[in-house]
Order: sequence, then structure tokens, then C-alpha cells
Amino acid sequence: MPASIPPLPAAEPADVREVRELARTWADASGLRGWLTTVDHKRIAKRYVMTAFAFFALGGIDALIMRTQLLRPENQLVGPDRYNQLFTVHGTNMMFLFAVPVMLAMGLYMVPLLVGARNVAFPRLNALGYWVYLFGGILLWVALLSDTGPDTGWFSYVPLSGPEFSPGKRVDVWAQMITFTEISGLISAVEIIVTALKCRAPGMTLGRMPIFVWAMLVTAFMVIPSLSMIATASQMLAMDRLVGTHFFNVAEGGDPLLWQHFFWWFGHPEVYIIFIPATGFISALLPAFTRRPVFGHNAVVLSSIATAFLGFGVWVHHMFATGILQLASSFFTATSIMITIPTAVQIFCWIVTIWTGRLQFTTSFLFILGFFVTFIIGGLTGVMLASVPFDQQVHDSYFVVAHLHYVLLGGGAFPLFAAIYYWFPKWTGRMLSERMGKLHFALWLVGVNLTFFPMHLLGLDGMPRRVYTYPDGMGWTGNNQLATAGAYVIALSVLAFVGNVLWSARRGVRAGDDPWVSDSLEWGTSSPPPPYNFARPPVVQGRAPLWDRTPDAPVVVGLATDRREILVTTAMDAEPDHRHPDPEPTIWPFVAAIAVSVFFIALMFTPWAVVFGSALLFPPLVAWGWPRRPNQAPGVTTPAEGGA
Amino acid sequence: MPPDRRSPDRLTIDVSVLPDTVFGHRGLVWWGTVGFMAIEGTTLAIAAAAYLYLRTNAAEWPPRPTANPDLLIPTITLAVLLLKLIPYGLAERAAKRFDLAGVRRWLVIGSAVGLLALVLRWFDLQALNVRWDTNAYGSGVWLALVAHTSLMATDVLESAVLTAIFFTDRVQPRHFSDVEDTAIYERFLSVAWLLLYLLVFLGPRVL
Ligand code: HEM
Ligand SMILES: [Cu+2]
Repeated sequence: MPASIPPLPAAEPADVREVRELARTWADASGLRGWLTTVDHKRIAKRYVMTAFAFFALGGIDALIMRTQLLRPENQLVGPDRYNQLFTVHGTNMMFLFAVPVMLAMGLYMVPLLVGARNVAFPRLNALGYWVYLFGGILLWVALLSDTGPDTGWFSYVPLSGPEFSPGKRVDVWAQMITFTEISGLISAVEIIVTALKCRAPGMTLGRMPIFVWAMLVTAFMVIPSLSMIATASQMLAMDRLVGTHFFNVAEGGDPLLWQHFFWWFGHPEVYIIFIPATGFISALLPAFTRRPVFGHNAVVLSSIATAFLGFGVWVHHMFATGILQLASSFFTATSIMITIPTAVQIFCWIVTIWTGRLQFTTSFLFILGFFVTFIIGGLTGVMLASVPFDQQVHDSYFVVAHLHYVLLGGGAFPLFAAIYYWFPKWTGRMLSERMGKLHFALWLVGVNLTFFPMHLLGLDGMPRRVYTYPDGMGWTGNNQLATAGAYVIALSVLAFVGNVLWSARRGVRAGDDPWVSDSLEWGTSSPPPPYNFARPPVVQGRAPLWDRTPDAPVVVGLATDRREILVTTAMDAEPDHRHPDPEPTIWPFVAAIAVSVFFIALMFTPWAVVFGSALLFPPLVAWGWPRRPNQAPGVTTPAEGGA
Repeated sequence: MPPDRRSPDRLTIDVSVLPDTVFGHRGLVWWGTVGFMAIEGTTLAIAAAAYLYLRTNAAEWPPRPTANPDLLIPTITLAVLLLKLIPYGLAERAAKRFDLAGVRRWLVIGSAVGLLALVLRWFDLQALNVRWDTNAYGSGVWLALVAHTSLMATDVLESAVLTAIFFTDRVQPRHFSDVEDTAIYERFLSVAWLLLYLLVFLGPRVL
């Protein structure tokens, strides 16, 4: 396309008048109205991230109660019934309300900025996704506080979670909460895919797309099959419970193993939905802290893609203890070990990058180093668990709890903190305190290892997971005390982090636009970015747009400033293709999310909710899409359009 | 980085000459539609997978004493769903010509046929000859039908709204492009049903 556009004389940078008009056009209403109606991806994603951290804190309090209960044998702080709810809600919350949403939300904030776009592709849908997520999360926690918390474990195995063994509404809360969050996750995935493929700045060919954006794109492609799976499976469970279907009921030809297959076909890829964005953070951050591009760009990208494919072929390793065929066991052992190859390739590329770089030991970089240590321990115990005889031995023991936390905290939380320290100045215009940050890091590193390392030993010593207490004289007391002490160290570390964020958001050192002298586009606009992100779409000349920029880089002009307009480019080569109107703020996604919530919550009680829930949902959806009156009469407008 | 000095030979890319209405895979809405087709397609595939998995647990399919599903009405529904593609295809063509009258005509007909198919679907459910709570087989076939029917119902509503917009003075060029995306979605729904029909109505006779 640029070829067909004749070069014009030089244009001036976006002038003051232009910028003022953009600011007016893209401004939100003030106050509560603006807060409820905004469709700005940055405001929505920031909200997602803060909400996810709030759920992280709640899940952490939940974990502290569990760890306090396990401090000594025969402790009476919480009884078995309450403990069941605590670990189920903790696991469910951490996976569905914290880890996955926070990663997708980081993508929703950063992807448009990294590709030089003004907004995500479907801003109103994005708002809907947030509200649905929020209401689903509230449902889970209100249920726990009213003694209706799900209590069958975060994977809710049937028959335990079926109508026979779990009467009442606890499991229904779980199933509906899943549906809420998966709708939100699926929406985020579509946003990320279309933004990354169609809204990239001119010149950002796929080959130049940042590794972080690749990581989010691959993640989004994994989200679609896996979250669709769990949303459907959880509805099947809900139907077994509500209307008497027999999907998982052996007596009528159903099969509990079907649930396990469906759950893990979602559940294992979910680990990568958390981990691949985290790898993206590492690749995005390393150039700034090593002062060089990531070694092996293509290898890192291809490894993410390979991981995504293999990630769907390993689920049965969660089912080795179910008496699955011998041949199947061997096959899934092989795939499970194979999936470490692409991860190892990435880790080696990062190590080379660090090895050959000029290092800056910021808090962010320390968290990356912490990732290496912690994640590799989790990865190694994973390889151990992939071996069937070993798995048979430690299945459902604390060894698994240790493994999964090393993987999730090492492969998720460490890189996430690194990313927050790195991008906080972009979001707020202020730096996080490095001193507080280093305290946060030190406590976190000690706390995580102190909590979870002893759990390996407990598992090997035979302590089962999901027990609310244990008898004296098993030899488990010492390691449990260490683990509990560690949990409190983690709590201190999180307090240091929260304190740092609250303090720095107001008092932190002013960051300037590009405090790390980074390579990627998000640092090419102000910090925090204006609502329209870039006054003019940037033009990308290499893989490191800010480092590769030449003084004679072309400029893009001609995008409207008096109405919200975005530039759409071609999927492969990012050539300017057409202009697209970006929707105005609106209340309807919020209203629709309320209707969805009424619908799903009513569905816990009666199948008729399908009828009146849809009726409730229809008006806001129509209002949402109903066009404003245009200036011209219909039929008269023939758009200035060439052939398709 | 050297500061960004403006040099006289900078190129300018003027995007104001680019179109603001495009068709097919150039447009964002097309991509969104494809995204949702992928999600819904996965859901339907999962329903089919559940059905096939449950099949492997049963000696007979359908398990005695459940009877085979009837074929007459479901086959008519299938035909109607496939025929629906004609008006939508014509609406799509009219949209590409920005032919308002043509779009109106074919969208009205398409929506009406969609509504007819939805009514017939009610009888398809009777034709299953089994309730969802009779046995796992019944649960499986109902899941497939209900999953597809809910997409159909949503689609009929959406299509009706789009049609309504074309009868107001609020039509914008982009709505013509929406017609094309709707037509694509209709193809997805009908083809998905063709596959589910084979599974649910012919499956018990051959599996
Ligand atoms: C921050 C500090 C954390 C502590 C102290 C902690 C502690 C615990 C404890 C005590 C259990 C229950 C073990 C049992 O009784 O079987 C547990 C289970 C679990 N945790 Fe954590 N956890 C933490 C963070 C996380 C995070 C960040 C995630 C996910 C991203 C997570 C995911 C899980 C899962 C999936 C389970 C299994 C729940 C189940 O058995 O159904 N945890 N955790
Ligand atoms: Cu797994």
C-alpha cells in the first residue's frame, strides 16, 4: 500500500492543535460516568490487573489460614469442612481469578502500545469482559464467606462433585464462576489476536513483531480451545446437577473419566496460558537490562509456538493414577518430557543474552534471575512426575503441591513482578522504589523457597495433600512449621510490594517517557500514555523500533483527530489498509454484564433462566450495537472504496 | 538514540486517502466473527467429542430400549438451514454493490427462513425420541442440539437487528460490510449443523 502512495513533502510533527483535538476526541466523561463507560484499553486493563491482585491477596489470606491450621498436628483452627472450601477456593481463585486474567490483562494493556495501536480491536467487548470477570469473582468470594464455597478441589472431580455426593449449591458456584471467567478470557483472547494481527503500526511486519506480542498471540490461540473446553465441561457438570443429565453418571452410561479428560485438556494448557506470557515478559524486559536484543529471536518465537502445540498433547499425565492403558501412559510420558525441549531452548537463549549483555541489576532484573532458579526447580520436579512409577508414588501428596507452586510462582509470579516493576513507570509516570523493591524481592525469594521446598520432603514422607490436619508422630511437624513460617514471609513480601505501589504511585520519582532507554514502541509515547496512545501512528523500521529508528523515518498523517479513528493494517506485512471508526464510550457493556450475571446466577437454580436470562440480555445488546444517526441519508453514501 | 531530527527528505504516508469501509478479511469485524466462529466451533466439536466418547462406553447405540431418532423432520430442517444460505449469499452480493433495496429484501427473507428453521428445530428435539435425563446417550444428543440451537437463536435475533437497522435512516457503509460477515457466519452455522446432523441422526444407525 505505501508504494501506491506518492511521497509528499515533509510533514511537521503532530502539532499542538492536532494534539489538543485528539485529547478532546478521546477523552472519557469525568467521574463515575466515565469510570463506568470507558472503553480505553489502558483503563480497563489496569482495572483487570488491580482486581486480579486483589484476588491474589484474598487467595493469599486463604492460604495463610490453611498454613496456620497446619502449623501443628491436630490443630483446631478450622475444621475439615471449612478447610475443603479454603483449598478449593484458593486454587480456583489463584488459577481462574488471578493467574490467567492477570496475564491476559497485561497483554490487553501492553499489546496495543507495543504494536503502536490506539486501542484494542473491539473496545466495548473488552469492557464487557472485565465486568463479567469482576462479577464472577465476587460470586466466588461471597459464596465462600457465606459458607457456600466450592469444596471439591480446584478440578472438581466427579463423582465427588456430582449431584449425589455434593448436594447444595457449592459446586454450582464453582461451575458458574468458571463460565463467567472463561467468557472474559475468551473475549480477551479475541481482542489480543485481532489487535496483534490487524492493528500493528506500518512497517511492523510479522518478522519484526516483538517477542512479547508473539507470546500473547500464541497464548490467545491457546485460550480459544482450552477455555471453550472448560466452559463447556463445567456446563455439562452443571446440567448433571441441575436437570439430571448423565454425562458423568456411570449408572446410566456416563463416565467420570470423561470429566478428567475434559478438565485436563483444558488444565494443562492453562499452565502454559500462564507461562507463555511470562516468557514474553522476560523477552520484553531483557533488552533493557542487558543492553542488547534477545539472542535467538526466531528460536524463542518458534519455541513458544511449539510449546503451544505440545501443550495440548500431554494432558493424560494428570491421569496416570486412573488405570489408563499402559501404551497411553508411555506415550504421554514421552510428550510430557518432550515439551521441556522448547522451554529449554528459550531458557538457553535468555542465558546467552544475559551472558553477553551489560547487566543492570534492577529489581525487575532480579525477579528475572529469581525466575530462573525457581522455575527450573519446578520444571525438574515436573520431569520427575512425568515418569509413571514416580507419579504413582507421590500422586496426591504434598510433593505435587510443591511442584505446582514452584512452576506457577516461578514461571508466573516472578516474571509478573519483573514486568510490573518494568512497566509501572509507563502506566503511572513514576518509578517504583528500588529499595522497597529489593526488600520485596528478597522476602519473596526466601518466602517462596521456605514455604514450598519443605513440601517436597513432606510429600516424599507420605503427607497427602488436601488434609486439614495430621497426627503427631508422623515426622511431618518440622517441615510443616517451616512451610508456615515461609507463608508469613511471603505475606510480608506482598505487603512490601503493596506499600511500594501505593507510595510510589503518588510519591515515586518521576519517570520521564523512557526511563530504561528501551527498544520497544510503548516507550515512544508519553508516560502515562494519552488516551489515544500515539498522536500519530509510529512507523517501524526494525525489530527494536526505538533503537533502529532513523532520523528520516516516514511519518503517518491523515488519521482523523475530530473523531475516534484507528489505522488497520495488513496481517502479514502491516501495510496501511484502511481507517476504522473506534467506538465511543458506552454504558451498555456494563449493563449487559449485569444481565449476564443475573442469567448465570439464576441458572444455578432453574433451567428457565435460559429463557428469561436471554430476554434480559437482549435489550442491552441491541442498544450497544444500535448505530447513531449519520449525517447522510441511507443509500446516498457510497464510500470511497477501491476494489476489495 | 540521537534525537529525532526532522530531515527534509522524510516520507509522509497519508492515510486519509485510504478507504473506511472494506469487505472480507481486510476488516476487523470479519476477524472478530472468525474468532467467535472458532470459539463456537470448538464448543460444538466438544459436544461431538463427548457424544463419541460416551458411545465407546455402551454396547448398543442407542442403548435399549431407546429408539433411533426420526429422520423426516430433521432432514427438512437441515434442508431449510442449507437453503437459508441462498438469501444470505444474495444479501452479501447486494451489500458489496451497496444495493440497499437488495440487502433489505434478502435480509428479510433470510431472517424469515432462519426463524422457520428455529421453529422446525423444536420438532427436531421431539424427533430425538429420548429425553436428556433418560441415559447418557440422551444427554449427548441433547447437548449437541441445544448447543447448536442456542447459536441459531442468537443468530436469528442478531440477524433481525441488522435487518432492522437497514430499515432505519441510520445505515452506515460499514453495515454493508456487516452483512457479508453475517453471511459468512450463516455458512458456519449451517455447515456445523450438517456435521452434527450426520452424527446425531445418522450416527445411531451406523456407529
Ligand atoms: C502466595 C503464596 C501461596 C501459598 C502460601 C499457597 C499455599 C497453598 C496451600 C496451603 C495449598 C493447599 C494444599 C493442600 O491442602 O492440599 C495450596 C493449594 C493450591 N495452590 Fe497455592 N499458595 C500460594 C500461591 C498460589 C498461587 C499464586 C497459585 C496459582 C497461580 C496457587 C495455586 C494453587 C493450587 C492450584 C492449589 C491446589 C488446590 C487444590 O488442591 O484443589 N497457589 N496452596
Ligand atoms: Cu500437566
